[in-house]
Amino acid sequence: MFDFVIAGIQAPIFLLVFVGFTVGIVGGFIGVGGGYMVTPALIVFGFPGYMASGIDMTHIAGKGVVSTVRHRQLGNIDWTMALSMVAGTMLGVELGVRLLVYFKGLGLSTIVLLITSVLVMFTLFLYTQIETRRAHRKIEQMSQDGESVGREIQTSSLPKIFQNIPLAPIVRCRTARVIISMWVIVLVGVVTGVLAGFLGVGGGFIRVPSLVYLVGASTHIAVGTDLVEIVFSGGYGALRHSIEGHVDMMAVMFMICGALFGAQVGSIATSYVRGPAIRYILSYSLILATCGAVLRLAYVLTGQKVESLSFLAVMLTLGEMIFLCLFILSLVVFAVRHRKGKSVPQWVPPLVV
Amino acid sequence: MAESSKGRMAFRFVFWAALSAVLFTVILRSHYSGQMASWYYHTAAVDGYAVHADEFVNATKEAPALLQVGKFERIEGLQAVPVKKGDRLPANANGVILSDVLKAGKRASLQGEAVKVTVPWEIKTAKGFKYKDTFKHKGIETWPWAAVWNVFMVIGLGIALGFMAEGFTDIIGIKLEKIRHFEGH
Repeated sequence: MFDFVIAGIQAPIFLLVFVGFTVGIVGGFIGVGGGYMVTPALIVFGFPGYMASGIDMTHIAGKGVVSTVRHRQLGNIDWTMALSMVAGTMLGVELGVRLLVYFKGLGLSTIVLLITSVLVMFTLFLYTQIETRRAHRKIEQMSQDGESVGREIQTSSLPKIFQNIPLAPIVRCRTARVIISMWVIVLVGVVTGVLAGFLGVGGGFIRVPSLVYLVGASTHIAVGTDLVEIVFSGGYGALRHSIEGHVDMMAVMFMICGALFGAQVGSIATSYVRGPAIRYILSYSLILATCGAVLRLAYVLTGQKVESLSFLAVMLTLGEMIFLCLFILSLVVFAVRHRKGKSVPQWVPPLVV
Repeated sequence: MAESSKGRMAFRFVFWAALSAVLFTVILRSHYSGQMASWYYHTAAVDGYAVHADEFVNATKEAPALLQVGKFERIEGLQAVPVKKGDRLPANANGVILSDVLKAGKRASLQGEAVKVTVPWEIKTAKGFKYKDTFKHKGIETWPWAAVWNVFMVIGLGIALGFMAEGFTDIIGIKLEKIRHFEGH
């Protein structure tokens, strides 16, 4: 047990390292900060609510840097896209926070927040799931026809619409091989930033699908580029939370120790899979987070009397972290087996390289 | 040629590992020397009495805690120091009982030369979860430069650890190459 003087609690170090590790794997693989998983976990460990958010946001900034360094080595970052989006993201986050304060003033914040979370996450889940299944089938078909299958297969026609908007300045994102109006990238930053600021999360689970389906980046590049955004938005969030006194640096340090290893595993795991595999994991994380939010909404709507709903929501969130980690690790194991010519389940070959 | 490349890799790994170790040491030293807490509980954000809230968290209406009021340099046990908004908090203080709370008298009140605390904690809700909220952390202001220090440390640690890990995989021979995103297209 470690005495966290600032948070005012005692908690075992290994739990924080473990949370950092698991969220590091998931974050490094699908490009999310993992705030929706870490905050409930910290509250379960006894950290006060305001501290949990602050510690989470600060650790996300550090973990984001660790993952970014690795994704840079793998060539998954489009710096033009990332830097074009930063200003929009920051503006969006600030607008989102102000919107939240407005709803708080009306006394509606918790319900509006949870309903918005459920709607946004469920819509993204549906779209990602449908599109990825289509891509999965297309890869299977291409393999049967003896065609060479690339690292990325994407079947959405939305990127073409957005790439054809003739609004100057047009930027050329070399790594992502995308030519698009800068305003589209900025707008994606603003919109995802508003949602992130309003929902109190880093926004990766909104930004990654947006970069894939609106801007037209490949999934790997969307993940790496989003992690750069997370460093900026996480750093800004960490500064704000620290000024408010919501951060215990010792807790952050232990979580970063775990994230150091987790982020390596998650980031390197992306080199074993095709784009649709990442999108599958992202969509599963979205539906699990949606279920957690539905349970929490039910808890709030029942006047916070049915404690089992809150308990179930926490268990689901913690279970989600472990489930996603195991899913990612098993994909890597299957990919290695597939490379060696050993037997793997039928659904695996189209998803791995 | 291969030798010098290995030497460069080893130097890179050692450099980033050393930098990580330095940053960890700085953070741990700030924690154990009490500097981190003193930056954190820096000044009073309101008028009231600076206290060490952990000392009386078990007080009840039946067995209240009586805090001795005085101008102490360091708060030891059941002591309280009167502070005005903007005053530097005494050492070991981790919360301020607001004057308004004392006037209301529901949770704490002034009794002669002592502060009597009867309700040291309340249950509050954050993000749909319930937690125990005490006088700890109330009415305090963190030193703004400590926030900059936090962000600097966390980003610095991320960079140092990230490059250290990269150096480590290079040294043990795990060669990670850039992903060919558009191969086969």
